[in-house]
Amino acid sequence: MMQRFDYLKAIADDAGDALAVCTGWGAREWWAVRPGDANLKTRTLGLVSSIAAGLAIALPHRKVLAIDGDGAFLMNLCGLPTIALQSPGNLIHLLFDNEVYEASGGTSTASRQSDAVAIAAGAGYKHALWVQSPKEFHFEFTRAWKRNELTLIAAKVRPGQPANLPALKLDEIENKYRFMRHLEASEQKSILNPGFDSKI
Amino acid sequence: MEAEIATTAAAAILAGLKKSGIDFVATLPDEKMLELIRAVERDTELKHVPLCREEEGVGICAGAYLAGKKAAIIMQNAGFLNSCNALTTTSLQFQIPLLMLIYYAGDIGDRGFTTLGAVTEPVLQAMGFRSYILRKRDEIDEILRGAQILADDSKRPVAVLLTKSALGVK
Repeated sequence: MMQRFDYLKAIADDAGDALAVCTGWGAREWWAVRPGDANLKTRTLGLVSSIAAGLAIALPHRKVLAIDGDGAFLMNLCGLPTIALQSPGNLIHLLFDNEVYEASGGTSTASRQSDAVAIAAGAGYKHALWVQSPKEFHFEFTRAWKRNELTLIAAKVRPGQPANLPALKLDEIENKYRFMRHLEASEQKSILNPGFDSKI
Repeated sequence: MEAEIATTAAAAILAGLKKSGIDFVATLPDEKMLELIRAVERDTELKHVPLCREEEGVGICAGAYLAGKKAAIIMQNAGFLNSCNALTTTSLQFQIPLLMLIYYAGDIGDRGFTTLGAVTEPVLQAMGFRSYILRKRDEIDEILRGAQILADDSKRPVAVLLTKSALGVK
């Protein structure tokens, strides 16, 4: 069985300037394969999909990736019908299911007894599917990108990371500012202004 | 007559939100806020996101804020308690503003929710959130606008506690 990193590598070159919201170890791996200020690492377990959905709803013309894990996914199951009701076509929800809480030491999640794809489909996602290999993952990813309809792509992966992954040097505040300034530059709009320059 | 008062109060709160620049609202209802949620639902200018649980709403509003929206969440105080982790590890940790309109169940004179009422203000205080109780309908604009300025400027959540009298309900 392949690892999450093998899957992330397979799509990095085709992710363009998509906004990527990541969680846990997946964040470090994603930054390694697609560095830059379009990446945001969340801290609340479970909220990666909700934060990505907020971005996708607010910027419907922009591709947004939620890079989710099974622990986070299970923590926020009630977020799935909310996302499905809005059905942002620009959101691609990627789930790497290694059946453990990897960032918390590796104890088991409940995911070996449940089917994340069936859960997402039941919640109302337009498309939800398992893939078996990085090659298939890449195929489905580019398909979801072109189709522009809410999609979950899930893969069972072996826990673990490659050795010598570079550490993330950003804290949440720096990550946020860089992310927002990147959005301002790429969307050519003003978002973040100091209070004394605010319009309300 | 009573229904009319609630409808008018709801319209005034919605108008106050818009005047404060709010353009994105996530909601989870309480019976006392029925008319307010209905008004948000019907409105065509605001983006409305109905929630299944309040904590995901904190995430959705955070994402919307990063993209340039001015977000508010409307929920009951039980929902505020449901959201405390997200408010800490997303809103506070990333310094993300959020206007929280919280129905104050168990407020003075409100039957059936005194346990919830008793912990509401202490928890808001413990989390360091500034909060304002909205009791008079003629204070709607001032308090909503002021709270939104505070949230936006301090980059933190700010709470407005909605009471029965402000909502025009019994």
